[in-house]
This record gives sequence, C-alpha cells and structure tokens, in this order.
Amino acid sequence: MPNVIRDLSDTSSYWAAIWTICPLPDAHVICDAPIGCFNLVATAIPDYTDAVPHIENVTPSVIREGEVSGSGTAQTVKRTYEALRDSGILSDKRLIVVSTAESEMIGSDLSDLVTQLQPGTTFFHSESLSYDEWLGRDRVLQWLWDNYGAADAAQIAPEPGLVNIIGPTYGCFNAPSDLHEVKRLIEGAGGRVNLVFPYEATLAGMPSLAKAQVNVVLYQEFGQTLAATLGRAWLQAPIGIKATTEFVRELGRLLGTSDQAEAFIRHEKKTTLQAVWDLWRGPQSDWFSTISVGIASTRTYVDGLSAYLGDELGMQVAFKAYRPRHAGEIGNEEVRSLLHKSPPSFVFGSINEKIYLSEGGKRQTSFIPAAFPGPVVRRSIGTPFMGFRGTVYIIQEMMNLLYETLFNFLPLDSAYTAQNGGGLVSRVGIQPVSLVWTPEAKAVLDAALEKMPFIARISASRELQMRVETVAQQRGLKEIDAALAREVLEK
Amino acid sequence: MCPAFGSLRILSRIEGSHPVMATDTGCLYGLTFVTHFYGARKSILAAHLRTSELMSGEIVESTRAAIDVAAKEPGCQLIPVVSLCVAETAGLPEEMLPRRIGDAEVVLVRVPAYAIHSHPEAKDVALAALLRRLGQPEGERDDKSLVLLGEVFPADPLIIDAVVRQMGVSGTITLPGRSIDDLRRAARAGALAPLHPFYKETTAVFRGWDMPVVGGAPVGASGSYAWLQAVGRLLKLDPALVNATAESERDKAQAILNAQPLSGRILVTGYEGTELAYARLLIEAGADVPYVSTSIGADPLVLPDEMWLKAHGTKEVIYRKSLEDDLAALDEYKPDLVLGTTPFASAAKERGIPALYFTNQLASRPFFLSGGMAATIAFIRQMLTKGAQYQWMQEFFEVDHA
Repeated sequence: MPNVIRDLSDTSSYWAAIWTICPLPDAHVICDAPIGCFNLVATAIPDYTDAVPHIENVTPSVIREGEVSGSGTAQTVKRTYEALRDSGILSDKRLIVVSTAESEMIGSDLSDLVTQLQPGTTFFHSESLSYDEWLGRDRVLQWLWDNYGAADAAQIAPEPGLVNIIGPTYGCFNAPSDLHEVKRLIEGAGGRVNLVFPYEATLAGMPSLAKAQVNVVLYQEFGQTLAATLGRAWLQAPIGIKATTEFVRELGRLLGTSDQAEAFIRHEKKTTLQAVWDLWRGPQSDWFSTISVGIASTRTYVDGLSAYLGDELGMQVAFKAYRPRHAGEIGNEEVRSLLHKSPPSFVFGSINEKIYLSEGGKRQTSFIPAAFPGPVVRRSIGTPFMGFRGTVYIIQEMMNLLYETLFNFLPLDSAYTAQNGGGLVSRVGIQPVSLVWTPEAKAVLDAALEKMPFIARISASRELQMRVETVAQQRGLKEIDAALAREVLEK
Repeated sequence: MCPAFGSLRILSRIEGSHPVMATDTGCLYGLTFVTHFYGARKSILAAHLRTSELMSGEIVESTRAAIDVAAKEPGCQLIPVVSLCVAETAGLPEEMLPRRIGDAEVVLVRVPAYAIHSHPEAKDVALAALLRRLGQPEGERDDKSLVLLGEVFPADPLIIDAVVRQMGVSGTITLPGRSIDDLRRAARAGALAPLHPFYKETTAVFRGWDMPVVGGAPVGASGSYAWLQAVGRLLKLDPALVNATAESERDKAQAILNAQPLSGRILVTGYEGTELAYARLLIEAGADVPYVSTSIGADPLVLPDEMWLKAHGTKEVIYRKSLEDDLAALDEYKPDLVLGTTPFASAAKERGIPALYFTNQLASRPFFLSGGMAATIAFIRQMLTKGAQYQWMQEFFEVDHA
C-alpha cells in the first residue's frame, strides 16, 4: 500500500537549503527552480512564518517548458548569473547554486557549470526528492562548514568561555524568543556567545566557529553533525525546569564557571522562576492534574513540553506527535482521529491540528501554536518555550486560555444572546419545565460528556442537557429516551 | 506566489471537493500552507512522491491511494487531482486514474508552474477542467440567466444580481464558487459574463455550449453602463428597462466618483490579473495611473481595458511583468500610492511610499457597479492621505539623525 500524505508537516531539503543559507548576508543563492518554487520559499511563506517581507539574496533560474523538455537548466542558470553580475549585486558576495526537486527531476547537475561562473561559486545538491527539511538543514550546515569554514579554521585555537549556538534558520518556529533565552542562559552560566550560526553569521566569518570552547545545538532535529565535526563538547538547548537547570550547571562545568552557574540558578529561582513557584502555591496548580495536553511539533518541543507539563507540573499528556515522524509514531491521520473523537483540553500544534479541531467542532479545546506550518508572528523575544523564561511563558499562556474558557462557561442572560440571533437554547429561552430522562438517555448524555475535556464538562453538562430538552419541548414530549438523546448529541 | 496556487484556491473552496495533490514535498508544503491561509480550512491529501516513487513509475499507484482516502471524506463529491511540476515531468496519464469513485467525480487538473506562468491562469485551467467534466448543457436553457465568471468579493455577486434582475435577468450563477451544482447548471444559462479577463479556456468551454459572451466588466461609470447594455442586448431584454437601469447605474456611479474624487499618482501592479480593471476605476475617480502591470499575458479579453487606459493617460501597460519592471516604474513615476506584490509593496514602503499588497487588500472588498465601487474608492482615498505616516516610519528606521 503506497504511502499517502495527509497535511504534510515537514517541507523538503531544498527549502532547508534556502532557509539555512540565506540568513548569511554575504551569500547569494541561485535556486534552479520554476518560478513557483522560488516565490513560495522566498516570499509567500516567510511572509507568514518569519514575518519577513521577502528573502532578498535568492534569485530563481526560472525553469520553463523548454528546460523541462530537453534543453536543461545550464543556460538559464548562466543567464541568471550574468544578469546578477551585471547589476552589481554579486560584487561582495559568494554565489551558491542550489538544486530543487524539479531540477533534480530533469537530472540537472550543475557541478561543472559553476566553475564557469564567478570564481568560488559552488553547487549544492539539495537532494530535495529524498530528504526532509530537518535532514536537509543538518546536511547544509555541514556542507557550509566543509566549503567555507574548515580550511581556514585549522590554525584557530578555542578561547575559554566562548560558546556557539547552532541553529536557528528561517522557518524555525518561535526562533527569536528561544534564541534570546538561550543566549541569556549561556551568559548566566558564565559563558560568552561567540557565533550564532547561521542566523547571525556570515560566510566569511564561518572559520571562527572553531573559536568556541562549547557548542549549543538549539534543536534536536538538526545541527548535531556539525557540532560533532567541530569536535568540542556540545549541549542541547533545554525546555523545562529540570532540563534548564541541568543545562546551566553542565555548561558551567564545561566552561569552568560552576560557581557563576550555581549563583545564576539561585538568582533565577528568586526572579524569573518565582512566577512558577507562585502559580504552584496558588489555585492554578490545582487545575494542572485535570488538564490534558496534546502536542504535535518538532521533537525538541514535544520532548520539552511533555517533560515540563507532564513530568514536572503533573498534567496528562494525551498524545505526542513528533516531527519528523519516526516509524511507529502517530501521524496526522491518527492525530486527526483523536482530535475528532476526544480532544484534550489543550493542543500545542500547527495549523493542521487547528483544522482538525475545526472539523470536529471542538471549541472547548484551547489551541496554542507550537509548530509550522501555519501563519503566526513570533518576532517578540517575550514568548520563549526554552529555558527558565520559557517555563513561565508557557504556563502563563495556558492559564490565560483556561481563564478564557472558564469565562465562556459563565451564564449570560439569554435575552442578550437572543438579540444577536444566538444559539438554539438562547432563542427558546430557559424553560421552567423539567423533563424525565430515562436511564438509557442519561447514559447517552454521560457518554457525550466523557468525550469532552474535563474542565469543560461541568458547564457542558447543563448545555447538552438543555439542547436535548429544547428539542423535546418543541416536539411536545414528556420524556426523553435514548433515541432522542442520540439524535441530538451524536449527530 | 506559485502560479499553480490559483487552482488550489478555487478547488479547495468548493463544498464537497477534496483535492489530491501529486507533487514533491517542498511544493506540497508551500501550496498547502497558502491554501490554509487563502483557500479553505480543509485537510489536503497527497501522493507521497520521492525519488523512489517518481523513478520507478509508482506515481499512479500513489495517486490512486490518495484518491481512495479522499473518497472516504464525509460528503465527498469531487476529487480534483492537482498535478504539479514533478508529477507532470514524470508523467501522470489520465487514463490510469479512475473517473469516478463512490459518489465522487475524479478530475485531473494539470498545473505545472513551469508552464502555467500565472496565478489567474491556473484558476482558468482548473475551472475549465471542472466544467468540461461536470457541465450539463443538455436540458432546458434558462435564456434570461447570466453566469458571472470571476472570483470576486462575496458582496459583489449580490450587488450585480440585484441590478440585473431589475432589467429582467432571471438569475445569476457565479463561478468559481462553492457549489458543485452551479458547475453543472451553468452550462444551461443564457449568457456568460467574464468579470475578469483571463478565463480563456473557461470561456472556450462555454462557447462550445453555444453560449454568448458579454464583453467588458461592470467597472466604474462608463464601464458599468456599457456592460449592462451589452447584457441587455445579448439576453434580448426589454430595451427600455435596460436603458433605465444602465442610466441609473451610471448616474449613481458618477455621483460616487464626484463625491469621493481621488487625487494623486498610483501604480497598479499585482499578479491577480484584475489590475487593469482596478486602474480603470481609479482613473475614473480622478487618480493619475501612469503604470499598470500584471502577471497575465496580452489577450483579446484584456485589450479593451488596455485601450481605455492608454486613452486616459496610462503610459505603460506591462503583461507578464517582473519585479524589475515594477521597480523601474517606482523610480520613474514617483507615485503617492503603490498597489503590488509583497516584494514590490515592501520596496515602496522602504522609500516611505504608502503601499498595499494587492492580493490581500483589494480583492477583499466590493468593487463592481455603483454598489461595490464605493468601498474600494473610499479605501484608496484613505490610503492616499497616509504619506506622512509612511514617511515618518521610513525616516525612523532608515535615516540616521545622529
């Protein structure tokens, strides 16, 4: 049975190449692509993922019918290069030609052609028909180091206290906030940030990656290959109270600044983390064990959120859907079915999960964006998931959505909703009649409630009951039987 | 935007339609993303096409598997198979796909971006494919009914319908829309009125059903008047009634133009294929529009608008434009307001010039006849007053006062 994709979650390694190389301002990319592959990756999508108007240092070769049906792309890439050269855009830049799914499809290998373009031009075969964005980013980071960093790095010695951050690239959810928080943790532990690669780096400055004593890899999904190649100790960026404490402590140990790291942790407990301690001692934490959470995101976020919310705060983790998905893990088909049938109180996810909740009419579940795809502005540095600040931000966000849900449960006089053409119950008004429910009908009502998130049940029980009773009244019935309850509640 | 998106935009919005895509994962990611932004809250299925499937010819099996899943969606009546660059390059033979599965028609829509060239033309290809399969010309015709062709703001068809009914039109159908049944019965209407000038293939399908085609579009005072007269002639409506309606619309439109005159220079650019019509309205309202560019190619359907614009002060009308064309116009004409794509609008904002993304802002308000134009003109008027604000922002970020 061939594999069917429902709502793709991970883009291709061509996208990874553009999104990883183009943050480097002294690189210019020619993507060997039909116009659409350029427009989507450079403008239409980063408008709504990274909130950048467009990525400027990439130009398409514009593959048309002629190139597909036999002429190949060498000439059109050459013409694209000449136009760029003549416009002066390339004067202080290094040119990289990147393959796409379509250029690979027609077998266009430009390794020879690039030797005829501007000296030093390279060809990156993105393997877009084979790899996803995560492996793609990992490959291109290593390739960049091999081609633009390694040779000049041999004579660079590491400097004590310097730390690199590997990742993010364009298209990494919530990157500005997480990056900012990880920098703060590094400084808190006694280190100094050397290079953020590729987000704040240049091609020319790449050899200085060798100066760092320790590397921090921001995501589990990519960057480890480069970290291993660099040959220094490296750590994975943390989510949750325990992981962050361990991260700061371990970084302090590696840098020889343990005293500073311990002092930072003590200070954070009295400042940043005080909010978590206050919420824990307050009425909020009583809700934690009644809250269920579904998480569909990168492995970094799924592991981090489930450790923090599940293991540390005691919430129930209803499902974990990892990107990229490994064999045996649930995919979108299963997530969709879970969200249609019995959604948790909170879903962290992408627009896919949001659509599944809409399809299922699950308005009692709170949705929190936690992954791409999906349009979201996350350019403020105040919304981290990582680090100590992340622990506060996440729980703050959840509590505010919970308050919103609770607010919507409070009764509102039906006269107001009737004025606005409100729902069925509001239009009919509250009738002072009490109808008899047969035990079988009551069982149907209980089953319908069981499918709802726990916190919603108390108020929903009244609403569901009234929905059935309203229909019964309209039909002039004196008793509610199982058939009627099923008709109203299970349609 | 990838030009192929035009097809998904209309295919995803049809009630009961569950598109299946045949393409690579990068393309799928991008097109699904924009479909979930501009199209519909609809789950999108696709064949999994990697090197192995493409090279071993498993593309048909993979696509058929996705069709089987789509057919199980509740209420599925239509499965458009959207075949994009890599699938078209590998080859996806139509005869290898089912024509029907369960209650659903399976319709192949070929929109490789390397051959389609523009977003509006992809809409045309998709709609024509649907009509060829679903259109039901047999049976009694409703000689006094009108098909409005073009994706317009939801209020526009209501406004147009109300006006044409006054002169004896029995009803209107708007395509592309949300109803599969409209695709079937449109074939038995009295006339076709393309509101947008790029539905070449679709118009040919209707001509194949011997349906007369109304030229022009109900835009502005003179355009609305001429269009209503043309509708009246083609549908053989009562000339006195038609005259009265057309004159009344012209007078109302003129009153709006007089009450809300525009003054200022505007560049009208975009990839929607409707740019010439917008330029025409803005000029009638008093704006100076020296430059108009669009993604569609030159065609007899757009020629009347081009000639009208050239006769009313427009110096350049560029078809199949590039960003470089638009940027050169920005230097040349120094406009007070720019309507354009996101890269072009951002280039204008970087110079302190008010600018709007044509796709997001212009297509989201009524436009046609006197009832629709007021909203568009009021919006443009408001934007023309914003120069100081855009300049302030530009100076704050780009000029170093230290």
